[in-house]
Amino acid sequence: MAASKCARLSGALTAQLLDAVDSVLFDCDGVIWRGDQVVPGAPEVINLLKKNGKKVFFVTNNSSKTRKLYADKMTRMGFDVREEDVFGTAYCSAVYLKTVCKLEGKVYLIGTDALKQELESVGIQSTPAGADHISGGQIDWANVPLDPEVKAVVVGFDPHFSYMKLSRAMQYLTDPDCLFVATNTDNRLPLEGGKAVPGTGCLVRAVEIAAQRQAQTVGKPNHFMFDCVASQFGLDRTRCLMVGDRLDTDILLGSNCGLKTLHTHTGVNSLADAEAHQNSGCPERQGMVPDYYVESIADLLPALQG
Amino acid sequence: MAGAFGFKGCRKIRGSQIRNLLEAKEFFLFDCDGVIWHGEKAITGAPNVVSSLIRHGKNVFFVTNNCTRPRENYVSKFCRLGFTDIMQEQIFSSSYCSALYLRDVAKVGGEVFVIGCEGVRKELREADVPFVEDVDAPDAAIANCALSPNVKAVLVGHDDKFTFLKLAKASSYLRDPNCLFLATDNDPWHPLKDGRILPGSGSLIAALEVATGRKATVIGKPSRFMFECISSQFRGVNPAQCLMVGDRLETDMLFGSNCGLDTMLTLTGVSQMEEAQEYRNSEHSCFVPDYVVDTIADFLPAFEELD
Repeated sequence: MAASKCARLSGALTAQLLDAVDSVLFDCDGVIWRGDQVVPGAPEVINLLKKNGKKVFFVTNNSSKTRKLYADKMTRMGFDVREEDVFGTAYCSAVYLKTVCKLEGKVYLIGTDALKQELESVGIQSTPAGADHISGGQIDWANVPLDPEVKAVVVGFDPHFSYMKLSRAMQYLTDPDCLFVATNTDNRLPLEGGKAVPGTGCLVRAVEIAAQRQAQTVGKPNHFMFDCVASQFGLDRTRCLMVGDRLDTDILLGSNCGLKTLHTHTGVNSLADAEAHQNSGCPERQGMVPDYYVESIADLLPALQG
Repeated sequence: MAGAFGFKGCRKIRGSQIRNLLEAKEFFLFDCDGVIWHGEKAITGAPNVVSSLIRHGKNVFFVTNNCTRPRENYVSKFCRLGFTDIMQEQIFSSSYCSALYLRDVAKVGGEVFVIGCEGVRKELREADVPFVEDVDAPDAAIANCALSPNVKAVLVGHDDKFTFLKLAKASSYLRDPNCLFLATDNDPWHPLKDGRILPGSGSLIAALEVATGRKATVIGKPSRFMFECISSQFRGVNPAQCLMVGDRLETDMLFGSNCGLDTMLTLTGVSQMEEAQEYRNSEHSCFVPDYVVDTIADFLPAFEELD
């Protein structure tokens, strides 16, 4: 559609774009909400898109919740959403391990109960989440033998991350046949109330350095999350729009998958960030330049209501 | 002997070649783990090598990235393992040097937030560098954790009680660009005696670097700082008269290279001959040792000749 990139979306151009797509994929943090504050106008946008016959999906790198928890949160905030429309990295990592890795065996888990539940929902058992389940010092951990049924280490967001878990993961990863999967590599996790804490990416890097191995990452910008949605709903990627606030995850995912991309300025990156990529002269950075931008997704309302 | 143009020999030497080296050098810097001991067991012949060097009037220093114990504990360990007459002043650990850095170089005017073991805290206390004692309830909130207002530096080292909460606090402190970000060392992992491995300081620092987008200033090898500590405390330490003996190419050999010292790889620890040769073949000369021995006990016949 647009030969140029990074075009402001307004007026007739918005209507043209909406006519050219059947499905819209939204990131969550910084796009439809910030922490627990909904972005004004966001529920109306989503609900009108659906009323206008568009399919709407949510694609988030946040690995700390199940898709059901997300759907519940969205419903509470006024979004007309079903669980099946939500693709978080906890769920997608479980699908990845089952369908791509064809994992047979247990997972050594660094992550929350949500990740454990999503794994169990596809039939994969894992070690418990939460605080260290073996107390005591290094000697005690060292004396607990490795579980021979563990065939993969999965790292997701884990507020109970500890040296002992890191050490345990590293022991499993000395076996080159043991898989190493990361839900995502974001360096920060936005929390309720607008605060942020270190993200999954920090924990993944710690394990990578200790084990001297690289994780296979499921989350954006890896194309798997789009593949997951597309395979379940039969999407035509030429008629899909990816909407996000992060250029290095959301927009790059869209570019990697051949989708149209819309950057919104209610989250992490600004227009200046996008233009910096565009003017950099680096081919590798062009994937982070969006096709279009808006200040907020509420800017879509006039075209949807008209 | 060593390449004037950066060429590193990577030669296994013995007998008279070692004797020539012993005669040419005045200062011998030894790494500890994997070089003079494995855990609680001295490498066969190592105590004899050290005492022979001293008997022949050589200066011996120990330069270790292991930050888990204070120097006085190292003195006891040397004694326990049969190394006689090793003084605290000969021991340069990354925890001791981190305390020196904070006190004398950074001249940190506030408190230090420490992620590390008692070894680090003891050295900070000895150097009169104030630090924040981390006393959190196990269920302290990660988003609203109490921050001390006077923290001017974050020091990270090996911590077997590392938690997400410590990571969150450290990254909050480091949001202030004027807050220093220091690492005792960057070693990614360490071998245990029985063949298992443990995560090193490097893995914890990597987590914090990702969280903050900042790079730590590393005190330990391969950074030059520990050598600068030695040469500021002892007169006449001339790089050309030094030999650095270690077991890890990416720390000990690189350290030697960075400080202009001749280097010797001993094969009783982490790095193998094949790895050294790979570095040489790919022209990464800074990781390549000048000399290689199977064990430092290979020095002993040379002493017999000298005696």
